[in-house]
Amino acid sequence: MSDTAQTATPQDPQRLHEDMHEVWGNPRGLKALTIVNHTTLGLRFMVTGMVFFLIGGILAMLVRTQLAFPDQEFMSPEIYNQVFTMHGTVMMFLFAIPMLEGLAIYMIPKMIGARDLVCPRLTSLGYWCYLFGGIILTSSLFLEMAPDSGWFMYTPLSSGEFAPGPGSDFWLLGITFVEISALSAGVELVVSILRTRTRGMSLDKMPLFAWYILAMALMIVVGFPPLILASIMLELERAVGMPFFEVAAGGDPILWQHLFWLFGHPEVYIIFLPAAGIVSTLIPVFAGRPIVGYRWVVVAIIVTGFISFGLWVHHMFTVGIPQLAQAFFSAASMLVAVPTAIQVFVWLATLWLGRPVMKLPMLWVLGFLIIFVCGGLTGVMLALVPFNWQVHDTHFVVAHMHYVLVGGMLFPLMAGLYYWLPLFSGRMPSERLGRWGFWLTFIGFNATFLIMHWTGLLGMPRRIYTYETVMGWDIFNLLSSIGGFVMSAGIAMVLLDIALHFRFGRPAPQNPWNADTLEWTTSMPPSAYNFASLPRVDSRHPLWDDPELPRTIAEGRHDLAVIDHGRRELWGSDPLTGKVREIIHLPGNSWWPLFASLALAVVCVCLLVRLYPLAGFATLVAVGFLLRWSWENGAHPKAAPDAQVQPGDPPLHSRTMDGPGLWAMSIALLANGSFFLSYLFGWFYLWTVSPQWSMPDTSPLSLPLMVLAGVALTAGTLWLEKLVRGLRRQDDRGLAPGLFAVTALGGAQLALLIWVIWQAGLEATETAHDAVLLLGLIYVLLHGALGTILTLLQGLRVGYGYVSAEAPFEPAVVARLWRYNLVVFWVVVFALAAMPMWLGGGA
Amino acid sequence: MLAGCSGDRSILDPAGQAAREVAWLWWGMLAFSTLVLVVITALWLYAFRGGRPTERSSRDEKRIARRWIIGGGLLLPGLSIVVLLAFGVPVGQRMLPLPLPDGQQAERIEVIGHQWWWEVRYPDAEGGEVVTSNQLMMPVGEPVDFHVTGADVIHAFWIPRLGGKIDMIPGRTNVIRLEADVAGVFGAQCAEFCGAQHTNMQLHVEAMPRDDFDAWLAERQAPPEHSDDHQAARDTFVEHCASCHRVAGVSDGQQGPDLSDIGDRVSLGAGRLAMEEGAIGYWLRHHQQLKPGNRMPSHDHLDAETLDDLGAWLETLSP
Repeated sequence: MSDTAQTATPQDPQRLHEDMHEVWGNPRGLKALTIVNHTTLGLRFMVTGMVFFLIGGILAMLVRTQLAFPDQEFMSPEIYNQVFTMHGTVMMFLFAIPMLEGLAIYMIPKMIGARDLVCPRLTSLGYWCYLFGGIILTSSLFLEMAPDSGWFMYTPLSSGEFAPGPGSDFWLLGITFVEISALSAGVELVVSILRTRTRGMSLDKMPLFAWYILAMALMIVVGFPPLILASIMLELERAVGMPFFEVAAGGDPILWQHLFWLFGHPEVYIIFLPAAGIVSTLIPVFAGRPIVGYRWVVVAIIVTGFISFGLWVHHMFTVGIPQLAQAFFSAASMLVAVPTAIQVFVWLATLWLGRPVMKLPMLWVLGFLIIFVCGGLTGVMLALVPFNWQVHDTHFVVAHMHYVLVGGMLFPLMAGLYYWLPLFSGRMPSERLGRWGFWLTFIGFNATFLIMHWTGLLGMPRRIYTYETVMGWDIFNLLSSIGGFVMSAGIAMVLLDIALHFRFGRPAPQNPWNADTLEWTTSMPPSAYNFASLPRVDSRHPLWDDPELPRTIAEGRHDLAVIDHGRRELWGSDPLTGKVREIIHLPGNSWWPLFASLALAVVCVCLLVRLYPLAGFATLVAVGFLLRWSWENGAHPKAAPDAQVQPGDPPLHSRTMDGPGLWAMSIALLANGSFFLSYLFGWFYLWTVSPQWSMPDTSPLSLPLMVLAGVALTAGTLWLEKLVRGLRRQDDRGLAPGLFAVTALGGAQLALLIWVIWQAGLEATETAHDAVLLLGLIYVLLHGALGTILTLLQGLRVGYGYVSAEAPFEPAVVARLWRYNLVVFWVVVFALAAMPMWLGGGA
Repeated sequence: MLAGCSGDRSILDPAGQAAREVAWLWWGMLAFSTLVLVVITALWLYAFRGGRPTERSSRDEKRIARRWIIGGGLLLPGLSIVVLLAFGVPVGQRMLPLPLPDGQQAERIEVIGHQWWWEVRYPDAEGGEVVTSNQLMMPVGEPVDFHVTGADVIHAFWIPRLGGKIDMIPGRTNVIRLEADVAGVFGAQCAEFCGAQHTNMQLHVEAMPRDDFDAWLAERQAPPEHSDDHQAARDTFVEHCASCHRVAGVSDGQQGPDLSDIGDRVSLGAGRLAMEEGAIGYWLRHHQQLKPGNRMPSHDHLDAETLDDLGAWLETLSP
């Protein structure tokens, strides 16, 4: 019992709710566009994801209609290619990932006892980028100019020469736009989970779901940048002719495959881990006992995360890479079965030792188990290189991947939706309609895809738009198509059930499944602030320990129940122990995220229609909006109306040196570092492997000038660090002049860099070598510019009094960026200018 | 069941050593996987049954849980992987194009993927290189090294009944060694999505005894004979087709398939249309409907008669 945690006397819950709502509540009407609240935005993510799921599902049915009979002419080849490309793209990028992010955005704060995510405006930006990017991408379908090179967009098929229309541009620009959303969600989920857990929730008391989401978010942060880089490179090749992937100019199409799968394989686990998190959440609840082997599961999650980055080549076994590499990736691909098997048997043991009940959500979990284990087994088969050589790019692989993705993601998602429905709506789903929906989906799915393994073994390749009777595939394709439509009927029934339950479901009691985690202590449906007071947590099962929590929380008998200061507050806690360190105050509703993403949407559309000057202008506008948004942060009066806290409470984070912004900067730089490492990989890959790579005997880059620029950057960084050390000692003497001086040093670095670029005379449209150099130089140039501008703004903020010894937080955040720039810059000097000089040109 | 496995591109109807070993691997893996799936599902379903003793000490619970996790989570996949690799790695080894014993030389055939047809070259043919397209003749009962590459985008070379596939990548040459045990005709089709007509990029593969194969090569050494009956058609060809198509002794175009022995082939448009009398004329008039998007321009500016005559001449081109 955690009675000791209840410190205050009970307040009137209704009154407290009204006061809290005053500060946290969502506006209505047009101003609803400014909402930053995670509950609202999580729902928006999920509803939008469901719409894209339906679009992707319709595309799948078009494919199955075309393939139902031999020699069909239901669709032209061009349209068919667009349809299957968009089916994969929509399901992966616009449904699976955003849907799970939406669920995580909705659930995580509630499960860890926080009132919102730690960067609420970033949630909003992420949602708008997702929505606009998704609309831009799917609009191509209606314009009949959708991408048609397959969802993994292999070059040169997707390049300007072989895909001259705008289809590939829709894909590259739209997906990159949507990925802003994935990355921002990734960053803030990591920081939220690490830094805003409620008092006492040490890492080992965290719900397993949060562990899974932490791993997923970190994997997004590290896994998405390779694809963003690849997309930028391919778009540059298409738009301005920088030949990164063009053999004749020294590029290599296989580089695209490496970068794509460097993202693409972790992506599978990015989708699977949250789904497994749902299973690990539901099984203990329906077994009526804690999960066995909590630590086993945590280790399995972490191991999965690491191994998943070492598997990408198993998508490329037929490319003809060296045997040793194939052997390594083959073994690694099989090894990932171990952590997965650990989880399957942890779940089994939990059921074995508990008293499980077969409610509707558990039915979906059982369906998940059968389908996913089957997909896992065919996955191990595919990891075996000789077998892979035979079935690669056949319908066997199509079947395998749907077993893994539908089994590993859709079924657990449905289980989770049914489980959490009462939380969303306050009502219970219908057991009967839901069971019909499940069985139709389950039977339809297996009819479609179990048979499809066989079709593949009979030699049917992927992505062909028709086939002839002599090939002997007729009956299997017809059965698969019938199964597909049965599955669609099942999904329709499930969605109908969910829609109806909002109106006709019987009202749910508090904690209807007798769950153990904090999300069931909120009101149903939840308020914007989740918890009127933040409970202390002493075990992994707070609600089993103290079933009275919902009442005592609403009565404000736990922490941070004071609201008259008008700040949106939650605990900033220690990442390991969960001990309270500071009060984090969150920014409120804002137009800036919407404006910034609108400007980015304009950039995206301008690039699509090749209005490059306008795109450049819109980029500046977007940056302007983002900087204006950043101006209102920290100690700005709009962000923290007054800095007073209750006696005995820790300080506001903006008055410390270690707020969430610092963590968010670090995680963002982790993503950035992954981007940069992918770039370096590309440079060395082309240098050593590309078949027609050519390199001048002397580097076109002036090493002395580069070193001089590096010296300016180093001096700036050291000076900034010195200022931050001063602030740490509460000493802000010479802060503004110092910041301006650092700005000047940044400016000097930029000027020198521009000189380097100008003097190098790179022919970036002629050779891949020059194109890669230019890309790297632009990368460091943009980073230098960002660091310089942010430092300039810091200097100005000192003048406004937003940065001082009392509010010392922000320069430390900027300093972290400078330190990153410093490392990256010297690596660039070494790899791009010095190494070619020592090793000489010629590959 | 074996009847259900047959088919001219069935992996499970092998006609070569490599494919046969993979087929056996598949049956073994299928049996083992089915067993694992059934046992795991049965255990889960059993766990939902009530009536087990529920009062256990926490130490007992820990012991039972650990047994499941170590047994199912570590030992089961660990041992399965070891067994799988023990069977699988040697199979993979035997597929590599390693040097053959006692100085034997594998037959070398070059295959180049184009959007959307196959160029097949025999550089080591006695008397000079032989070039054909959309058909691949190979000797039976001896290893053949296929040197493959892509001319434009990435394609993949795959004869399912003989063995695994390999990508055909612009700028690179990959080698795959295959061997047919039995003479016969095998289906093959591009296996890497390569654009609008990926579907209609089929390859007719025929394995024949060594003597027949050598004879087949030899009869392609001399240019096809041209009778004077078709002089007008030849002129049409030279005017409209020669810049893209090669016909030995007539033209040297490299954009499209070599037509020197087209009269001898079984299909047109890389498997789109069966070869019979009048088929080429029909193809020339309707190829953009039959194979939409293919790289050959439509010939609407030529009248049907001219095209039919052209077709009739091309049909005579046979060694």
